[in-house]
Amino acid sequence: MAEGFDIDHLAKLARLSLTAEEKALYASQLGQVLGHFQALAKADLPATADDARVVDESALRSDEPGPVLGVEAVTRLAPASRDGQISVPRVVDDES
Amino acid sequence: MADALHELSAAELGRRLASGAFTSRALCEALIARHRTLNDKVGAFTHLDQADVLAQADASDVRRKAGQGRGPLEGIPVGIKDNIAVKGQPLTCSSKMLAPLVSPYDSHVAERLRAAGAILFGRLNMDEFAMGSSTENSAFRKAFNPWDLERIPGGSSGGSAAALAAGLVPLALGSDTGGSIRQPASHCGVVGLKPTYGLISRFGLVAFASSLDQIGPMARSVEDCALLLDALASADARDMTCFGPSGRALTPAGDARKLRIGVPKGFLGKGVATEVAAAVNAAVEFYRSQGCAVSEVELPSADLAVPTYYVVATAEASSNLGRYDGVRYGHRSAVSGTPVEMMTASRSEGFGPEVKRRILLGTFVLSAGYADAYYVRALRARAKIRAEYLAALSGVDVLLTPTVPTPAFKVGEKAADPLQLYLEDVFTIPANLAGLPAISVPCGASGRLPVGFHLVGAPLSESKLLAAGRLFEDAHGYAHQQAPL
Repeated sequence: MAEGFDIDHLAKLARLSLTAEEKALYASQLGQVLGHFQALAKADLPATADDARVVDESALRSDEPGPVLGVEAVTRLAPASRDGQISVPRVVDDES
Repeated sequence: MADALHELSAAELGRRLASGAFTSRALCEALIARHRTLNDKVGAFTHLDQADVLAQADASDVRRKAGQGRGPLEGIPVGIKDNIAVKGQPLTCSSKMLAPLVSPYDSHVAERLRAAGAILFGRLNMDEFAMGSSTENSAFRKAFNPWDLERIPGGSSGGSAAALAAGLVPLALGSDTGGSIRQPASHCGVVGLKPTYGLISRFGLVAFASSLDQIGPMARSVEDCALLLDALASADARDMTCFGPSGRALTPAGDARKLRIGVPKGFLGKGVATEVAAAVNAAVEFYRSQGCAVSEVELPSADLAVPTYYVVATAEASSNLGRYDGVRYGHRSAVSGTPVEMMTASRSEGFGPEVKRRILLGTFVLSAGYADAYYVRALRARAKIRAEYLAALSGVDVLLTPTVPTPAFKVGEKAADPLQLYLEDVFTIPANLAGLPAISVPCGASGRLPVGFHLVGAPLSESKLLAAGRLFEDAHGYAHQQAPL
C-alpha cells in the first residue's frame, strides 16, 4: 500500500460510506493501482506542466446574457419545490 | 426491402432517402422492429422513445417533400450515448445517481444533429459516468459484443459500438476520455474517431474529466464517420475550450498514399496478442505497399501514459462528481440526520463500485500532502508525453499501433482486477493526454472477434486520419460489416 493511503480518511473526504468489505476490497485494488503509479515517482520530468492547450486559438468571448432555462423547467427537475423555488434539506449544520 | 435497411451505410441511406426509395418513417420503423428483436440480447440501448423517433421521422419526411431537406443526414437515425443531453429524453449516464433525470435542454451536438435533419434515436448504454472499458459498470444492464454474446463490447461507449455492429442504428455518438470511443469500436469491428480536443463542443456532455473528454462519431465505415463528424463540429461559445473546425475540412482529404506513417518502437511487443499483432502488422505492410513511407519512431515516455492518465482523470472526476450530493444534483437518500450524513448516504447509494473506486483514487491524489507527488507530477508527465507526441508527429503524418492489445474478453473476466482493465487503454490514452485526434479502423479478426488499428495525428489532422482509414477500408472487406445475429 502506498504511504498515506488511509481508506477511512479518504472515504470521509469523498463523502462515501463504505462497508468493511468494500474498504478491504478498494484498499487492496487501489494499492495495486498506486503501485503502478510508482513509475511517475521515478520518472525524469520537466519542471513545469503546460496548460495542455493543443490549438492556439482563443475561445474567450464577450460576456453577454444568453437564453436560460425557465423557472418551471428547472423546478420540475428538483425533488421538491415551492413558490418557484427549489426546496432542499437543511444544509447548514448547527454544529458547524 | 425493409428487411435490408439495417445493412445499409448512412451514406447509402441518405442517397436512397433522397431518391424517394423509402421514407425516414419506414427506415425508423424497420430499426424499431429490429430493436424489439435484438436489444434484449445485445443490451445496446437503455431507452428508446418510439413515439418521439417516429414524430422526428415524420417531420423529416415532410421537410423532404417540401424541398427543405437539410443535407446528407436528413432522416437518418443517430444513436446517442446516455451522457449527452437530448431535450425531453433521459440523461442517466447509466447511473442510479441520475436515474429519473430527463434533460431540459439539448447538448450542442444534439442541436447540430437536429439542424442537419438527423433523427435522435434512443439512449445508448455505457459504463456508469463513462468510467470503464467493458460496459459492465452500467447500473441498468450489461451490454454484450454482437460478435460473441459472451464477451464485452468494450467501453465506456459499449452501447454505441454494439448498436452499430448489431445493425440497430447506422450512426452513433460516443464520448472518449481515455479511449471510450476507440476501444469499443475496435472490439465491435466498427470505426470510431476521437477528435482534436476542442473541435466539438462539450456543452451538454456530462463531465467526467473535463481536460480529456471529447464527443466523437462512431459508424460502420470511415465514410459514414466523416459524414457525422462534419455535422458535429462547429464553434460554440458555451464551451470555452471549443474552437470548432475554423473552416478546416473534416472529410477524407489528400492522397493517403503519400502519408508518412510512424510505428512506435517496441509497441507491438507489450502484451499484444499474437493475432492482434499479425493484423496490425498486415495493416502496416498494406500502407507500405501503397507507397506510404513507414518508419519507426521513439516515444520514450510511453510507459508513463497509463499512470499519468489515471491520476489526472480520477482527480478531475473526484472534483466533477462532487456536485452529486443529493442537494445540488442527483439521487437524494431517505436517510435523515446531519447534512453530511444525508450527502454521504446519497452518494453511497447513488454511485456504483467503479465510480466509488475512482472518486477515492482521485481524492487521494489531490489530498493534502500527496498532490505534489501524484497530481502535480502527473501534469508534468502529461506535458512530457504531449511534447514527445508532437515531436514524433513533426516527422511523420500519423502514428500507427493496435487500438487495444487483446481482443474482447469474456464478461466478468477482468471485473475483479481494475488494474488489468486500466491497461486496456494503453494505446488510446496518449491521444487524450496530448489532445490529439485519433481513429480506430477495423483491420481483421482473432477468430470471430474484430481487431482494429489505431492512428493518431497532429492537432486538426482529422482529414488525414480519415483519408488513411478510407484507403485501408476501400482495399479490404470490413466496411459496413455487421455481426451475424
